[in-house]
Amino acid sequence: MKITIENLQLRYGNFTAIENLNLEIDEGESVVLLGKSGCGKTSTMRCIAGLEEPTAGRITIGDTVVFDAAKGINLPPNKRNVGMVFQSYAVWPHMTVFQNVAYSLKLQKLPAAEVKSRVAEVLELVGLSDFAQRGASLLSGGQMQRVALARSLVMRPSVLMLDEPLSNLDARLRDRLRVELREIQLSLGLTTVYVTHDQQEAFALADRIALMQGGRIVQIGGPTAIYNEPASASIAHFLGVSNIFDCTATVGADGYVTAVRTGGEVIRTEQRGLATADDFKACIRSEDLVLSNVSGGGTNEFSGRVAVTSFQGSSIRYAVTLDNGGELDVFAPTKGAERFAIGDRVFASVAPENVQVLPADVVRQARLQEVAA
Amino acid sequence: MTQLATPPETRPVDDLEPDAPVSAPLWGRGILRKNGAALVVLAVLAVLVIMPMILVLVAAIATEVPRPGNGGLGALTLDNLKVLTSPDAVKGLVNSLILGLGATAIALVIGATLAFICARTDAPWRRFIFFIGMAPVFVPALVGALAWSLLASPSAGFVNIMLADMGLDMTINIYSIPGLIFVLGLFYAPYVFMLVHSSLSMMNADLEEASTVHGASLKTMFRTVTLPLAMPALLGSGILVFALSMENFPVAAVLGNPAGIETLPTYIFRLMGAAPAQANAAAGIAILLTLGLVFVTMGQQWIVNRRKFTTMTGKGARPRQVPLRGWRWPATIFALVYFLLAIALPMGALFLAATQDSPYLYSMSQMFQGGMSFDNIVKVASAADFQKALVNSVVVAVVAAFAGTTISFSASYIRYRTKSRLGALLEQIATAPLAIPSIVLGMGILWTWLSLPIPIYGTLIILAVACVAVALPQGYRSISSSMLQLHSDLEDSAVMLGARRSRAIVNVTVPLMRVGIVSTFLLLLMLAMRELSASLFLFTSDTRILSILVFDNFENGQTAVAASISVLFVLVIAVLAVLAQLAGNREKKQLAEASDSGTNSL
Repeated sequence: MKITIENLQLRYGNFTAIENLNLEIDEGESVVLLGKSGCGKTSTMRCIAGLEEPTAGRITIGDTVVFDAAKGINLPPNKRNVGMVFQSYAVWPHMTVFQNVAYSLKLQKLPAAEVKSRVAEVLELVGLSDFAQRGASLLSGGQMQRVALARSLVMRPSVLMLDEPLSNLDARLRDRLRVELREIQLSLGLTTVYVTHDQQEAFALADRIALMQGGRIVQIGGPTAIYNEPASASIAHFLGVSNIFDCTATVGADGYVTAVRTGGEVIRTEQRGLATADDFKACIRSEDLVLSNVSGGGTNEFSGRVAVTSFQGSSIRYAVTLDNGGELDVFAPTKGAERFAIGDRVFASVAPENVQVLPADVVRQARLQEVAA
Repeated sequence: MTQLATPPETRPVDDLEPDAPVSAPLWGRGILRKNGAALVVLAVLAVLVIMPMILVLVAAIATEVPRPGNGGLGALTLDNLKVLTSPDAVKGLVNSLILGLGATAIALVIGATLAFICARTDAPWRRFIFFIGMAPVFVPALVGALAWSLLASPSAGFVNIMLADMGLDMTINIYSIPGLIFVLGLFYAPYVFMLVHSSLSMMNADLEEASTVHGASLKTMFRTVTLPLAMPALLGSGILVFALSMENFPVAAVLGNPAGIETLPTYIFRLMGAAPAQANAAAGIAILLTLGLVFVTMGQQWIVNRRKFTTMTGKGARPRQVPLRGWRWPATIFALVYFLLAIALPMGALFLAATQDSPYLYSMSQMFQGGMSFDNIVKVASAADFQKALVNSVVVAVVAAFAGTTISFSASYIRYRTKSRLGALLEQIATAPLAIPSIVLGMGILWTWLSLPIPIYGTLIILAVACVAVALPQGYRSISSSMLQLHSDLEDSAVMLGARRSRAIVNVTVPLMRVGIVSTFLLLLMLAMRELSASLFLFTSDTRILSILVFDNFENGQTAVAASISVLFVLVIAVLAVLAQLAGNREKKQLAEASDSGTNSL
């Protein structure tokens, strides 16, 4: 079902966990709340679930207003029909797999035969058919994860919410379950809210990603858009862009933005126009830099010496100390590229289309604007 | 009685400081809905703890105290407080302080030495030493004092008779300040042992190894790393023993009275029992004693809170053992001597006294001339007043344990599982009786129920109420440690699946906390069985419990009867202790299983 969140605010004493958050999630859509720990993503999810009581705002699920601070509406969590998979799984160790999964159906007082068939159906879906009578404390992490998912799915929730469900699993299992989760979500057409701090997970699972910082959504969009066009340098940093330089930015006569690194190089871009901000940063992904031992004499070239090399299998990572101060992180493929040693003199260049000049921080910017208004 | 370190409130840290002022929407509207349960628990705790203390406070400046049939306090006056400057009060205070300090010193030396031998050396029989360190905690102080009066009373103590038999012109007089200090220190040493032992054995070995890696000798390591890390446990348990000794009534009554040594608790008891009773003056003394204890307990809290940085984990390698070489056996012998003094001799003395035909003993040889029989014990066991007291004790203990567990669970749930602002207050009230002498709480409870229009005075219920109030801190801490180990997600997930909160508690939280709940219940049951001081003013001839029966018989000179009841009394408590131990073992097993299954391997 469709979820609408309007002007949501959550405060504990003087601490603001969520500030003026607006979000619409379409029926059948999978939205990932992505951000660092403490950004308010789990709090947002717990507000939708009803486990936290927001200090202001309105939440609608389908046609039901489940929370409205102004009207004093606050539907308890057990009346919201929201499925939730907890980070800790919260599988009950004193019950069998069957008892865990059947819990919500027994609460609804469904006939035993129906309970049995629906539990069997959902256990089949998550691949645990043979484990129904197993005590839940005897399961592995991956199996508990599946039980937690099955337990939420069996009640046919209006919305399924998952709080970092893969973070306690090892890397290979995480990859496999990520694909399975996406399959299940697509096949059931479930409206899903997913919370994570892992960008890879977000990219793999989301129709749309809502990036959160400081209790607000700072950017929302499809995975590709978010990856290619981060709205601020701090988002770019969070998404793994490792070369972020202080700079002054101007729009030239040709309409393209030119940045001058503080105390250093002139960097040309193919970016048209600048956001309104006081503070700009030039952002370059480490894999977009090319190293050479001769100067090409062209634009967008940084000169320096290799300080650290680190072999990583299919790629090599270089730390380059720049002549004009600062350091560059360069990610070069192992095959088909020149190899450099510590102390080598190198020139790093980047194509203008791979440089982004972004405002430092949209949250602070938004706050400043609010204060001014 | 251990201080449970509560985890600091964690909250996600954000790099942006909120700049807008905070409004409190929904607070007014939701107050009842959010805090309904908390208010009920608050009311219960208020009647259990707050109201008694207020009544004691007011009684100290009033002309009357509530009596059966008249719940009033009369007029206000400051005359009662003159008692505070009376020679008796000053002497009582000085004696209490001397006993507190002396007993603390002895308990620290015995407890810390045993803990060290048991946890960190290669002395033989360390498992038995662990038992030795713990066991005396199960002997009620009243029984311990009674046993030592049988052993070392100047005229007829077994030890003194033996000394005379051996032709030694020497008497040990337990009815003296050193005697009292000795017995208190002996029976409170286990509290030091438990705290210091867990601190020494839980200490992360890495911390010590780091110091040896950096070149410290074993001796330097102990001085610079181990001792500072164990210091909070030493200080904390020392202060605890000091407080317990200050407020102790039974030892001072049994061993102090014959020599005319009076402490503040026994002075309160004398004032309350005087004809006519000087209850208002007793309340004045009670305030003095409570203030002293509050002061001391605050010191303990301060130490515990200040030293929170010494977080220790049970993980990692075993802590280092100190090779004792030639001192291995002397160390074990030290433990055995303690066992002899705290368990073997007292229990032996009780048994001897219980099985003697003649109440008077002139020489040890007389003891083995066929004077021994179980007739006394059988006679006592089959006597109506013993059986009635046993039933009373069991009823009181079961009711108190049940009510105490329920109240502790509710308070702890509100504190740790809800956002109610009353949680912190509930915790403070529930742990407050640590700083209130049992005998004072007993007085307050008496007056509370005489002034409330609910007629439970003279019934077993008021005794159960007293036991609940006195043992509330222990019950609350025991249940809270179990509650904190259970992730709140487990219960929340049941609510998300459609269960009402109350249903989720019943279906998930209570079953998962079962072992913690059972061990709390058994702990409270045991404490209620031992309770004497708080019951002193609350029992009537129909509602005597075992501890009162022992005390009464001793007071009336029926030493053999008191000894017989004591033997049976200790047996009952031993059974409970074994049950509690079994429950504890099951909990450990369950926890181990839970953590095994929590790993991520597929």
